[in-house]
Amino acid sequence: MSETLRNRLFLAIALLLAALYLFPLYWMVVTSLKTGSAMFATPPSFWPSEPQWQTYAYVWESRAVGRYLWNSLVIALGAVVLVTALGTGCAYVLARYRNVWIDIGLFLILMLQVLPASLMVTPIFVGFSQFGLLATPRLAVILAIAAKAMPFFVVLVRSTFMSVPAELEEAGLVDGNSRVGAFLFIVLPLARNGILVSAILIFMQAFGEFVYSKSMIQAAELQPASVGLNSFMGPNTNEWNNIMAFAAMYVGPILALFVLLQRRIVSGLTSGALK
Amino acid sequence: MTAQIELSQVNKHYGAYHALKDINLTIEKGSFVALVGPSGCGKSTLLRSLAGLEKITAGRLTIAGAEMTAVPPRKRDIAMVFQSYALYPHMTVEENLIYPLRMRGVSKTNAKAKAQEVAGFTGLSGLLTRYPRQLSGGQRQRVAMGRAVIRSPKAFLFDEPLSNLDAALRVSMRKEIRALHDRLGATSVYVTHDQIEAMTMADHVVVMRDGVIEQQGAPLTLYDRPENRFVAGFIGSPAMNFIAARAVDGASIALDLPGQPVIAVDRKGAAPLAPGQAVTAGLRPEHLRIVDGESGSDHQAFTLPVRLIESTGSLTYLSLGDTGDISLVEHGREHLRPGDRLTLTIDPGLVHLFDPETGRRV
Repeated sequence: MSETLRNRLFLAIALLLAALYLFPLYWMVVTSLKTGSAMFATPPSFWPSEPQWQTYAYVWESRAVGRYLWNSLVIALGAVVLVTALGTGCAYVLARYRNVWIDIGLFLILMLQVLPASLMVTPIFVGFSQFGLLATPRLAVILAIAAKAMPFFVVLVRSTFMSVPAELEEAGLVDGNSRVGAFLFIVLPLARNGILVSAILIFMQAFGEFVYSKSMIQAAELQPASVGLNSFMGPNTNEWNNIMAFAAMYVGPILALFVLLQRRIVSGLTSGALK
Repeated sequence: MTAQIELSQVNKHYGAYHALKDINLTIEKGSFVALVGPSGCGKSTLLRSLAGLEKITAGRLTIAGAEMTAVPPRKRDIAMVFQSYALYPHMTVEENLIYPLRMRGVSKTNAKAKAQEVAGFTGLSGLLTRYPRQLSGGQRQRVAMGRAVIRSPKAFLFDEPLSNLDAALRVSMRKEIRALHDRLGATSVYVTHDQIEAMTMADHVVVMRDGVIEQQGAPLTLYDRPENRFVAGFIGSPAMNFIAARAVDGASIALDLPGQPVIAVDRKGAAPLAPGQAVTAGLRPEHLRIVDGESGSDHQAFTLPVRLIESTGSLTYLSLGDTGDISLVEHGREHLRPGDRLTLTIDPGLVHLFDPETGRRV
């Protein structure tokens, strides 16, 4: 097989897989624009003949999508700020010191990652209710998400810090920095990309979080969009176009963020591997 | 001469590992001191202890008369050039240069003026706006040096700064560093594993092994009068030949070579040898002389077969003996073939003798 033919074949396979992977996203948008009858037509149409843009306005108004998105944003930002503030220092220490206790600590951190949210939610719920944290449910969810995301963040950022040579820090010390100064002015700027990328990944994860929010937030006006979307669906639901419009408005911002930053995210994730 | 850096009874332990053992060292103001030894000998640990990057476990360190044993690096007023140069990748050359000044509260205008001046004599003038990744190895080296000299510190510490450069650049940077040292009248401590760097650059060479100072002194003193077998073998290239021998009388020895040849030694005032005493004779490859076959009857000479001939044009390296483990260096070219037999002699004053047990000079 010639070189060009093989390249084309692989390209075709890649496009096919991408199409398969992106189809649900496409179906979501197409369905949200269909009329009630077009939605249930057999065979289904793959292009809306009369796009129903007013569905979006209707759903935005009637389902308070703005409020849900705002709650999602508050929870996601809160979790990211908390994780970044606490996790960066932790990752740095784990990257710079090497002994058996650090290894044990790292192992425990990775263990935490293994436990699924649906398993953790009951003990967390009981604990939080004892502390009275459920009175501020969004804060409770932020704490729970931060705890869940911390190991992931620490492990990623640790490898970023390890790629910053210790000699640079030592040069900073000799040049007149204190230990803290060398960390803030030499190490942190060099690890910025890795920290940013990890924070973005956690933001996206927290923006779509469902299990903790569903169990801890009872009041509808404090629930994030993931729970809002879920409450939209009942056993007898047939307004798929409205649900899809909700979903499209929900993933839109996240998708836009990812497309804007994808180059940075990919390079941040592989930077440790290449050098 | 006053002492700029003084170490007394300095010890460093890493857990059970004893990295520095009772180091006593005085570094004179304005001198260029080289710490040299094989890898793992503790020379870098010693340098890092001077910088304050390692805490010494026991002992005392003073810099310019001030107690510095437990003082953090930023308060020691020393500058260091790292093996990897450790240039800040997110800063331009100029920002790298002025960083130590800015850390000490020098105004931006003054710091920039000073950077211009330093860039002038380190050959970086056109490169101030570049980033380290846009520079060649030699240029990075110069930035690292510039960053060290921009403030006038009490001492410069160099941690194998030339090991990442190619051979030709290394030779020229060697001269540049020494010239810079002389120009600034600075005190420099230079770590290297390359004895040629140490010999050519330093006023005072400290040879280390396993955390111990084996010998220190002027470069030629170490070459002419090594205190033990380790220093004798470490200083000089190619390395000294060691041949087992036995004293015949107070001033001559029989080498453990085929025919047990006897050569004279000049004791230069040292105690005469006891007849029958076992010694190790150290003969430098460049001190062995080839004599004509006619004078081979001379009882000071000995004969060895040639194994291997390597010529660089100006010098000829010969490997001699049945196993080829005795080396000899001759100026010029030799028309020899492997298997030829050579008659050799050596000046009695150039024979070094060591105790086979302790390795000490006898």
